[in-house]
Amino acid sequence: MKRKIKGPSVYSTKLRWHIIISYCLAAIISIGLIYGTIYFQYKSSISEQATARLVSVVMEHKGTIENFLFELANTMRMVTLLEDFDNLKNQHILEQVYSTLEREYDVSFEDLGVLNLEGDHLAYVGPFDLMDRNYSQAGWFQDVLEKDLVISNVFLGFRQLPHFIIAVKQTSGNESWILRATVNAEKFASLVEHVRFGKTGFAYIVSRDGYYQTRSRDGHMVMDQVMPGHLDLEVFEGVRFWETDQDQRSFFRAKTWIKDNEWLLVVEQDVDDIYGELYHLRQNAVIFFGLGGSLLLILCLLSMKFLLRRVKLIDAEKELLDEQLIQSHKLASIGQLSAGIAHEINNPLAIIGEEAGWMQDILKRENMQGIPEHDELTDSLREISVQAGRCRKITHKLLSFSRKMDATLRKVDLNQLIDEVAALREKEATLYSIKFIRDYDETLPMILTDSSQVRQVLFNLINNAIDAIDKNGEIHLSTRKNKDSSVAITIRDTGTGIHQENLTRIFDPFFTTKEPGKGTGLGLSICHGIIEKLGGTIFVASKVGEGTTFTIRLPLEIGSD
Amino acid sequence: MIRPRILLVDDEDRFRKTLKKRISSRDYEVFDAANGIQALEMIRDDPMDVVVLDVRMPGLSGLETLTEIKNISPETEVIMLTGHASVDPAIEGMKLGAFDYLMKPCDLEDLMVKIQNAFEAKSSKKG
Repeated sequence: MKRKIKGPSVYSTKLRWHIIISYCLAAIISIGLIYGTIYFQYKSSISEQATARLVSVVMEHKGTIENFLFELANTMRMVTLLEDFDNLKNQHILEQVYSTLEREYDVSFEDLGVLNLEGDHLAYVGPFDLMDRNYSQAGWFQDVLEKDLVISNVFLGFRQLPHFIIAVKQTSGNESWILRATVNAEKFASLVEHVRFGKTGFAYIVSRDGYYQTRSRDGHMVMDQVMPGHLDLEVFEGVRFWETDQDQRSFFRAKTWIKDNEWLLVVEQDVDDIYGELYHLRQNAVIFFGLGGSLLLILCLLSMKFLLRRVKLIDAEKELLDEQLIQSHKLASIGQLSAGIAHEINNPLAIIGEEAGWMQDILKRENMQGIPEHDELTDSLREISVQAGRCRKITHKLLSFSRKMDATLRKVDLNQLIDEVAALREKEATLYSIKFIRDYDETLPMILTDSSQVRQVLFNLINNAIDAIDKNGEIHLSTRKNKDSSVAITIRDTGTGIHQENLTRIFDPFFTTKEPGKGTGLGLSICHGIIEKLGGTIFVASKVGEGTTFTIRLPLEIGSD
Repeated sequence: MIRPRILLVDDEDRFRKTLKKRISSRDYEVFDAANGIQALEMIRDDPMDVVVLDVRMPGLSGLETLTEIKNISPETEVIMLTGHASVDPAIEGMKLGAFDYLMKPCDLEDLMVKIQNAFEAKSSKKG
């Protein structure tokens, strides 16, 4: 009977979703974990690198700027040492010194002036008209009187342009004087800004009193005041690094004090710039994540389909097995019932047969030959005998059909078992010149099986063999141990053989080649059922005119095969 | 020629009686017993050539009776009549020394062949 696999049940739909969700969750969680771990490790490594770079840029830049200022100051001091005061306050000589400095030292002085301690120019070289200016009130001037060397903050001064001053006080003999030079703030700013890194890396300087000494990145000009809260101007040692948000931008900043804690050098870079590569990676990862996820989902659905098909198949098989079990229980009950009936019927049937036979015996007597309707009576009684014989066959089959389904297992010596069964028919067979030839494997191991059932099968096959030979022939009985854990019994006869077209149907229930009434067609199908139940197989090979061979394969132990 | 002495043992009276008449009419001396005990008494008194013994009987079963018969009179051949389709009781009977067996109900001609074979076997043993 063919069985249709049922469509998805509630149970399989539920199962499908369970598996899909758990598959996807497992995959997403593990991919997420891997992605997250890599992402955050990469991010922290980038962040560390960025911090280190920012700190090194700050330190390097600090060195550059301080070197630049130190060189300017040194040059100034050199001039004051190499040239006499008398020479320097000579306008002509100062001009020569200025052009030498410009030419030979490539210093960015805008102008150069020599002042007395009252703040008046004694000589001046430069593009501005400052000769008559008095600087006694200027902050830098007051500072230089005390410190001998001053580098001022950026301021506008008389010229109304951002610049800063480098001033050196020198004393020769009784006279003290001051050499002053101006550095163009623009030029200085470009030096500071010159060191750029990344796309947004930028450096600038803020004075301790909170004024930009160079342009800021967010558009503040030189001399602009730092917005409150934008920058902490507390003095500290070394380098400070921090991440900050300002005007909806996030950036990394590093700062350090230079020029004797007067100027704060700040270096900053946008977070987006630092993490640019990472963000790009993240974008790619999202795409891969999506693609991978879809692939996973497709795979998941495909494997689900496969799995569910298997589950359905298994379900169907289970259902079939259940049905078979119920069927076999039914059969067993029917079997018991029919066995009971068969036993009960057997006795009256035997009596009917015998009575009819007895009457036939009587009718055969000489003195009965002349009675009216003698032939009719004889014919009628023969028919009763024939029909009783049919009934007898039916009850016998019913009894063999009803044999208990449950196997009683014990260790069996198959060679001996075959001999026992053969002995049942051998004496009689000898009368018809049928010879039994034995070819047993003497090393055949005992097998664990239901001896009673095996006997039944052997009995049926031997009976069939005798029927097939009728008279004059041989029945070969042999046993063999197979290489796998099984044994084989072969029953070969030299009988009439079976036609090829019948060979495939030979184990079908109710299939018989015997004349109607002579065979029920149940024998071989029962044999087949028994052997299958015992975990074995039964094969038939036959050639018309040469004979038939039945081969039974049985496992050494039921369930071991 | 000595007529073979046959004992029919079966608890079904009508079957036994009719069978007895039929076999008797074929030139055998036939006795009958309704159960095992009765059969054993008869054999003890007067040994039989062939016993046709039903396996399914109340009281002493066919196989028990067979064992006893073989004890009392080892030469007596026994043909078992079994109601079972299974060959097990037949094999059991053969092991206990039965000459042959038949399924019940049986064909009289089959039975007569077996009785004759059994009788000849017994005679040759004796001879």
